Amino acid sequence: MLKGLVLASAGFAIFLVVHILLFRLRVPTRRFRAMVRMIFALGVLLIALHRLTPSDLGFLPFEYTTAGWAIDLLNGLLVYGFLFIGYCMFYFLIDRGFSGRMMIEIESSPQRRLRPSEIAARYSLEMVLRRRLNEMLEIGRITELNGRYQNTAKGRSAAAMFSFVKRFLQLGEGG
Amino acid sequence: MRGLVAGLMAFAVFFIVQAGVFHFVKISRRALAIVGLWIAGLPVYAWFYTWLPDDRAVWPVELAAPSDSITVLSGGLLYFFLFMGYAQFFYMAESSVGVRTMIELASEVENGLTLEELTQRYRYDWMLDRRLRRMIHAGYLIEEDGWHRTTNRGRLAAAILARCKRILCLGPGG
Repeated sequence: MLKGLVLASAGFAIFLVVHILLFRLRVPTRRFRAMVRMIFALGVLLIALHRLTPSDLGFLPFEYTTAGWAIDLLNGLLVYGFLFIGYCMFYFLIDRGFSGRMMIEIESSPQRRLRPSEIAARYSLEMVLRRRLNEMLEIGRITELNGRYQNTAKGRSAAAMFSFVKRFLQLGEGG
Repeated sequence: MRGLVAGLMAFAVFFIVQAGVFHFVKISRRALAIVGLWIAGLPVYAWFYTWLPDDRAVWPVELAAPSDSITVLSGGLLYFFLFMGYAQFFYMAESSVGVRTMIELASEVENGLTLEELTQRYRYDWMLDRRLRRMIHAGYLIEEDGWHRTTNRGRLAAAILARCKRILCLGPGG
């Protein structure tokens, strides 16, 4: 099953390189959608390569090449998909992490220390909410009419599902 | 398949136990509890792997893999990645501002809410204080006379995050 793992790791490494180059050369307006398209396109390439290449890829030890092709491919695709999901977690932490932003604000302040009120002045609730609202407008979770925001059907389903999870797991109102 | 099925079964056990524990007990240190439960599931994965038969006895040849170290590793990776995916979902439910906003909007189905009305419903001081306390607890920040400064660990994390933001041209974010 080593072939699937090797191809999945190589595919994800190529995704990272293309992703960084694309974001540096021409920042996409819908970043996450661009990432999903990239990973999907490379996933199709991964499947094609898996079917077209020999089971040892020309260099793998024989003892790791005896698995059936379907389980090898399935395992490779699972690892490839989950590497992307794990990376998304890291990406959203960098892009949207409120706690990370607070640490960066503290570090970039002249005395390298801030009071909560100063953090709030540098990054207000209005700024936080405006950014989230714009993102949710983009992905069709909410609509905006005359300055009033409402959930779409998709937003209502997500709100109901998360409300249930919060209640069931006793997570409090959160946010 | 043996490794993948064992990984999937171990995650199912983790998921049910975690949901049950969080439902019946009010957990204050959630990260510790969830990681602890996942680690406790590792022997469960090993048990399932030992208990399941060799692939060649059950699955067609295309889906059969030898019971070697790669199969054990693959199942372990699945158990780990499923946990990572679930953790992402869990923290989205717990802390996401976007999710909280949708829940607030769901309470005003007819008229919706303006940005000002949302700002009034959302207690920023509470939200900020919650995150600051969490970072102090995790050792990223220190509080001294109402001032917050980063620890060595916090400085390193801030530097890594700032560098990644620059590499990907993501702007200040947050």
